[in-house]
Amino acid sequence: MNLRTRHALEFVLDNLVWFMLVFVLVVFSLFIPNYFQLGIFANIIEASSVLGVMSIGLALVIIAGHMDLSVESVAALSAMAVGILFCSSGIGLGIQLHPEWLMVPVSLLLALAVGGLIGAFNGFLVVRVKMSAFIITLASYIWVRGLVLVISGGRSAQDLAPAIRWFGIQRLIGLPLTAWIAIACFVVFSLIMAKTPFGRHLVMIGGNETATFRAGIRVNRNLVIAFVLAGAIAGLAGWLLAIRTSGATANLGVGLLFNAFAAVVIGGVSLKGGVGTLPGVYAGVLLLSAINTAINLMGLPANFTQVIHGLLVLAAVLLDAFKQTIRQRLA
Amino acid sequence: MSEPLLVLDNVTKNYGAIEALKGISFSIGKGEVVALLGDNGAGKSTLVKIISGGLEPTSGRMLFEGKEFLAKSPAEAKAAGIETVYQDLSLCTNVDVVANFFMGREITRKIFGIPVLDERAMEAVVGKALASAGTRIPSLRTNVEHLSGGQRQAIELNRFVHWGGKLVLLDEPFAALGVEQTRRGLDMIRQVASQGIGVVIITHIMQQAFQVADRIVVIRQGVVAGDVARNKTSPDAVINMITGETLAGAGPGG
Repeated sequence: MNLRTRHALEFVLDNLVWFMLVFVLVVFSLFIPNYFQLGIFANIIEASSVLGVMSIGLALVIIAGHMDLSVESVAALSAMAVGILFCSSGIGLGIQLHPEWLMVPVSLLLALAVGGLIGAFNGFLVVRVKMSAFIITLASYIWVRGLVLVISGGRSAQDLAPAIRWFGIQRLIGLPLTAWIAIACFVVFSLIMAKTPFGRHLVMIGGNETATFRAGIRVNRNLVIAFVLAGAIAGLAGWLLAIRTSGATANLGVGLLFNAFAAVVIGGVSLKGGVGTLPGVYAGVLLLSAINTAINLMGLPANFTQVIHGLLVLAAVLLDAFKQTIRQRLA
Repeated sequence: MSEPLLVLDNVTKNYGAIEALKGISFSIGKGEVVALLGDNGAGKSTLVKIISGGLEPTSGRMLFEGKEFLAKSPAEAKAAGIETVYQDLSLCTNVDVVANFFMGREITRKIFGIPVLDERAMEAVVGKALASAGTRIPSLRTNVEHLSGGQRQAIELNRFVHWGGKLVLLDEPFAALGVEQTRRGLDMIRQVASQGIGVVIITHIMQQAFQVADRIVVIRQGVVAGDVARNKTSPDAVINMITGETLAGAGPGG
């Protein structure tokens, strides 16, 4: 095998999920009536913004060799906090700020802070108490959701302040601003992971934590930052969720965690840590969204979605193993 | 003897009731190569970890360049100028050669105040370092998982030669190397020492110790069983020190 075919093959392997996405879009466009429309594609991107943002945080922690199961509940708590303060009906307190736009940064900061705090709590326990991230964040997944139920009393908040809702309504080049926020997050965090020492260190910690510690990298500090980021990003996802639903319900976002996992795994992130890129994760998110849209358009019962997502995760894991064997042949 | 770089004074380490080190005292001079020998479980690796900041001693003290020294983390030891090559390699196989070479010390340039990796500059440095050491690796952008054991060890060795520092600890650095690479590795050690850097090398292979070391320190059951200049002892005498049959040839360093 000459060098050029080898490089070409490696390029395909590295970006496999993008090829899959294009393949799926082409097939759907050919065989499903009305699929090939700009509106549909915009809808695919729009529908994936909350899941996409949440997947970023999850991917960061998994790439660093750990786990964060709490992202879904954290998003719900942030959404509920924003909902209670800035919704005008239901359990909403309907707090008004003047000028009105002030509610945007305040609600956003609130959502980020709620998420960041829980992330810091998770990170502290993982790093200092040296407990397994799986168990700690599983506990957080449960108690944070419980907290959502407690503070809402199981009821919901509706009618989010229009100044905040504006982000879900205002469109730029056919996409609502919330979708642009998700895209911007992917761009920013992709750059951080690929181009900065912090991102490089996270990848190396995920690969061989002992080696990075011996090399003088401040492993604990980096890991805590990763957990705080995952929490804060989940908080942002919650903020977007509150905008999307114009409020918050006690069971908001249930099931998102598993979709985020699916997206991360399909996107080529190894659950063993150290492997994966954020652009891949975004392609994974879009792939899930594209399939959901296809199911809707074909008029299949929505219950099929879950079956297909499950099979897709299995396929992604198998594909990952297959890629490994090909790479070993290449080396 | 040259002026001492690192002095160990009665360093001990207990793991619960087990005394891994019962009181180790010896010193390393600038530009001196000390071979640390001993049977399996004698406490060599424990000692290396204490000097390099991976473990804290139970008691005893160390002087580095005449000052009280205790590294609480590998980062502190590195900052003081102590480089370590560990027995189980310290490479991240999921990233490429360049990333491993610069692990924790990446070259960056600021873009809007944000540090950004300067990949081109790093690649140039690595290319030069590997070329001057005669190490051939097909592509510096290959992930280390695709490289052979020998190539991996060569990266580790070149890394310490490049970063230098003041004291280098090598824990069985040639375990995966072929004959020619080992010879080159030994040359590298002499070359490093000639720059005034102290070198401690742990090895099982008597021949290597006699090839490269100025002084041979033998550890047995957590104590120094022998500390002799290479040219005043013989492999047989050293083996006796390791196994503890006699103490012939043992004595204060000189």
